Amino acid sequence: MEQSIEKNKTGIIRRITAINGMGQVLTVTVGLIVLCLVFGIINPTFFSSRNLGNLLRQIAPFILIGIGQSYVLITGNIDLSIGSVIGMSTMLSATMMTKGVNPWLAALITLAACLVMGILNGWLVAGFSMPPFIATLGTMTIGRGIAQIANGNYNTNSIGAAAEGFRNFFYYGKVAGIYTTFWIAVIIFLIFNFYLSKTKTGRHIYAVGSNINAAKLSGVSVTAVTIKVYVISAFCAAIVGFTQCASAGMGAMDAGNSYEMYAVAASVIGGVSTLGGQGILFGTVIGAAIWAVLQNGLQFAGAPVAIRNIAIGIIVIISVLLDIIVRGRKRSN
Amino acid sequence: MEDYIVRMEHISKSFPGVKALDDVPLDLKSGEVLALLGENGAGKSTLMKILAGIYTRDAGDIFIFGEKKDTWNAKIAKENGIAIIHQELNMCQHLTVAENMFLGREPGKAFLLNRGDMNKEAAKVLDNLHVDISPKALVGSLPVSKQQMVEIAKALSVNAKILIMDEPTSALSSKEIDDLFVIIRQLRAEGCGIIYISHRLEELSHIVDRVSIMRDGRFISSGSFSDYTMDSIISDMVGREIKEKFPHVDCKAGKTILEVRHLNAGRMVRDISFSVREGEIVGIAGLMGAGRTETTRAIFGIDQKESGEIFVDGREVRIRKPSDAIKNGIVLAPEDRKKDGLCTKLPVQHNISLPNLDLISDKAGKVIRRKENTMTEKAIDDFSIKVSDPGVAVQNLSGGNQQKVVVAKWLSRKSRIVIFDEPTRGIDVAAKVEIYNIMNQLKKDGIGVLFVSSEMPEVLGVSDRILVMCDGRITGELSREEATQEKVLTLATQFEKKIETKGEENGTEH
Repeated sequence: MEQSIEKNKTGIIRRITAINGMGQVLTVTVGLIVLCLVFGIINPTFFSSRNLGNLLRQIAPFILIGIGQSYVLITGNIDLSIGSVIGMSTMLSATMMTKGVNPWLAALITLAACLVMGILNGWLVAGFSMPPFIATLGTMTIGRGIAQIANGNYNTNSIGAAAEGFRNFFYYGKVAGIYTTFWIAVIIFLIFNFYLSKTKTGRHIYAVGSNINAAKLSGVSVTAVTIKVYVISAFCAAIVGFTQCASAGMGAMDAGNSYEMYAVAASVIGGVSTLGGQGILFGTVIGAAIWAVLQNGLQFAGAPVAIRNIAIGIIVIISVLLDIIVRGRKRSN
Repeated sequence: MEDYIVRMEHISKSFPGVKALDDVPLDLKSGEVLALLGENGAGKSTLMKILAGIYTRDAGDIFIFGEKKDTWNAKIAKENGIAIIHQELNMCQHLTVAENMFLGREPGKAFLLNRGDMNKEAAKVLDNLHVDISPKALVGSLPVSKQQMVEIAKALSVNAKILIMDEPTSALSSKEIDDLFVIIRQLRAEGCGIIYISHRLEELSHIVDRVSIMRDGRFISSGSFSDYTMDSIISDMVGREIKEKFPHVDCKAGKTILEVRHLNAGRMVRDISFSVREGEIVGIAGLMGAGRTETTRAIFGIDQKESGEIFVDGREVRIRKPSDAIKNGIVLAPEDRKKDGLCTKLPVQHNISLPNLDLISDKAGKVIRRKENTMTEKAIDDFSIKVSDPGVAVQNLSGGNQQKVVVAKWLSRKSRIVIFDEPTRGIDVAAKVEIYNIMNQLKKDGIGVLFVSSEMPEVLGVSDRILVMCDGRITGELSREEATQEKVLTLATQFEKKIETKGEENGTEH
């Protein structure tokens, strides 16, 4: 008698719309399609295969950092160190390569260093109940310092011909006509989407973000979960660092600057709640795509950088506002 | 018609998936106390939130002092003298009592706050209520019962003419309830209308003039309280006769399952020793703040223990965190479902599986969907949780159904000892009986049940053995046969004087 939810929807559609937060994802997907159409009308070369190829490669880093930040946001925390970890990753790997270290070994050592930053973040936040904003503000500054000190406060020289394979793997190579950067993002998305939606740890992540007390009482180790999400965030940032190093063929100290905020934007546009417990990674992918399409499309439309920034800022605010209004209406009904 | 200060007609309201109210009327005269009764999910709280302007109605009319109100929201409701005291406390924990009471209408000139006036004014209202709380105390430092009194004081301080009380006594001690009733009578004499929602039916005879009964979002009956009997009220509420209020099954007590020796954990858990055997329900009785919840929290590993040993099936176990307790076969259904029991934003299914993921996932940690579905369906079935789809977020369920989810999630795994902390708090009569039956079934299955409750008849009716706590100590143990209300109360108040002075210190020193 109380259960009058429409039962007439067909199985698959019902199952998809039943996923928590799917409503927002569907809305922003429509938004993404509209954006693409608008940019295509303003400048038809937007849909040229060359631009689409570039666009997918531009979307990839936002997907990666978005995934990392979404993991952290779903536990109800935030990771401000993402940008600095990208800088660290770029500078450490590039510096080692210019010093003659095998590129793959350099990447491996760098990855380890970045993961330590993730562990540190999680340990500070969960082990000492430090506010995540403050804890990761600290590691953000430390990370940027490490990026600067790596090559004695200079950007590195070219990482050289020995790194050709590394550069192709992360940026210039193509598989099935699409840049490898995008494929890397797709594979990482598939793995982490599975991890978040189908595993025990994934459930624990949502539980911690939804109600940390109930999670603790249910036997969830909040410390372990928190460390895991920060390590995943650092991992994603490290990969983005490699793509930047591969793209430029050198290490830049300011690489990844303010990317942590782009990651928040991608997550939030895609329906991940900054209050924790809500959101799905597919939404983050769409959010990242909107972010990159805006950058790319506005550039194609000939908008100056200042106008681009203002437009993107407004769209972030509107998309979150829409979500709040929709949720608010649901509640008051 | 003129003497009705509130008249609501044909009120309807739907939430996604649920028709909460269907063509419901309500009226209230000045100078009367109206009891609004019904099971959980009957729509009482929704109706009251519409009256207070918190929810907007889908259909129907509201008349206040005979005047039809078309635009109606929380602000207009307040201006019309309507005040609501919520079941769940809505307080700013970091602000003082006075600051909470005057939130949004602080006295003072221009933008300057007159703290002295505010504190004086707050003290006057609190004095009137005969509660000993300093206006300068931080709300977060007060026990729940005092916080509730502050909430009532806050409503009274706006000179409300129409006062809605949603389960105001569920967290109060009997003395505090008496104080509250004195105030309610005083307000009634002054011409206020009071709508009183409570599941503690035995309270009604003290204050109620008229009753209005709802069931499943519909209006059932209304009339003078004297025309009703307890049985007729209950049968109107549940729509069927409940023969046995406290179903009790006799089992032969077997070997000891749980033994606690000399447990110490802070001021509220001091030298606690007891045991639970197979085939028995052990009740822990006591007044608010006796340390019962703290004891269960220490056993379950939520709070740190200072000393003491715990044995399960004769084997000593070390419990440092809840997962240790779960591994050793002890589970705890906590008291405060919103704070400790549920992830309300998550689906029912994920809540039920959360503590049981180890049982339904493979070695790699992947949750096996099929097993999870089976577990959830069984739980929803076993505990008759009213939900259209296990994917619905728990926050969309009624309080009673939420409580069932709490119990279901803990009983979906085999355990040796189940601790229930106030499992029937704020839920309706029929749901209570369902909970008792669940406890009896566990008992028959040879599982030890430890049961904390503040409702004396319930403890007496359900338990095989009763431990009485007072001020962090066990002050006595009674068998089912020898236990009477008087005996329990005597034991529970053995340190009454001490508690009171302690309570006052708590209230004022911060």
